[in-house]
Amino acid sequence: MTNQQAPGAPLFEPDALPPVLAPATLTVTMDAIRAYGELTDDFNPIHLDPAFAATTPMQGVIAHGSMSICLLWQSVQQTLPPRVFDDLDLDIRFVKPVRVGEVLTAGGERMADGGYAVWVRGPDGADRLNGQIRVAG
Amino acid sequence: MKPTMKPTMKPMLYEDFVPGAAIGEIVLPFEPALARAWQNIFGADAGGGPAEAASMAVVMMMRAYLNVVTPRPPGNVHARQRMRLAGTPRLGERIRTVMSCEHKEIRRERRYVELRAVGTGEGGRPLFDARLSLVWAA
Repeated sequence: MTNQQAPGAPLFEPDALPPVLAPATLTVTMDAIRAYGELTDDFNPIHLDPAFAATTPMQGVIAHGSMSICLLWQSVQQTLPPRVFDDLDLDIRFVKPVRVGEVLTAGGERMADGGYAVWVRGPDGADRLNGQIRVAG
Repeated sequence: MKPTMKPTMKPMLYEDFVPGAAIGEIVLPFEPALARAWQNIFGADAGGGPAEAASMAVVMMMRAYLNVVTPRPPGNVHARQRMRLAGTPRLGERIRTVMSCEHKEIRRERRYVELRAVGTGEGGRPLFDARLSLVWAA
């Protein structure tokens, strides 16, 4: 990894990438969900209204999925140089709802091809989102 | 905001989406209040860095989706997210996000809609090219 590189040169040799992304955590409170709704203009009652949310297939309030992406960015920030955010591909699926009161942990492991398998997990160890990111190469 | 589809008070239904068609656009500033709001959720220690800036790409994408693709039927589910970052929003920068319909299909009796959100900063600086995959409720 160098600070100066030829145009088009990879940011990293795959072996130079850290093997894991440093974990980042967030406790999902109702206040945090309300604040995230304000931040994104997302006032869907499934995130904000327990009475309404109880009538849906989710059977209760769930956090905004994209909140977990913001947590994942923190894991990346703690591990890789800032410039990776200028050339990065994310591809994730939201696989399980995030509930009020859960402590989420974001992280990832380096894959053989140089990308990272990434995840955000709940306190039960199950993925809430998973997928991969690729930094410039 | 310059919607290119005819405004309507009825929710946008699956049948209203036309793959390849523009839906509209919105210009939003990355104001200090947004940074403060982000830090209120994720912690001031995490603020001011690239994670906050990259989060603003997510925020701008979601705000564009929610303000341009409206009204929506209740019960949509965000199933998958792809996002290519070519840069991150800078504090004070005005971000233009263009929304379009990329694809739609029905699988196993579910209506899948894929929306594309392309964000640029000042002078057309490329920021993000994102695809939201949603299970559309109606």
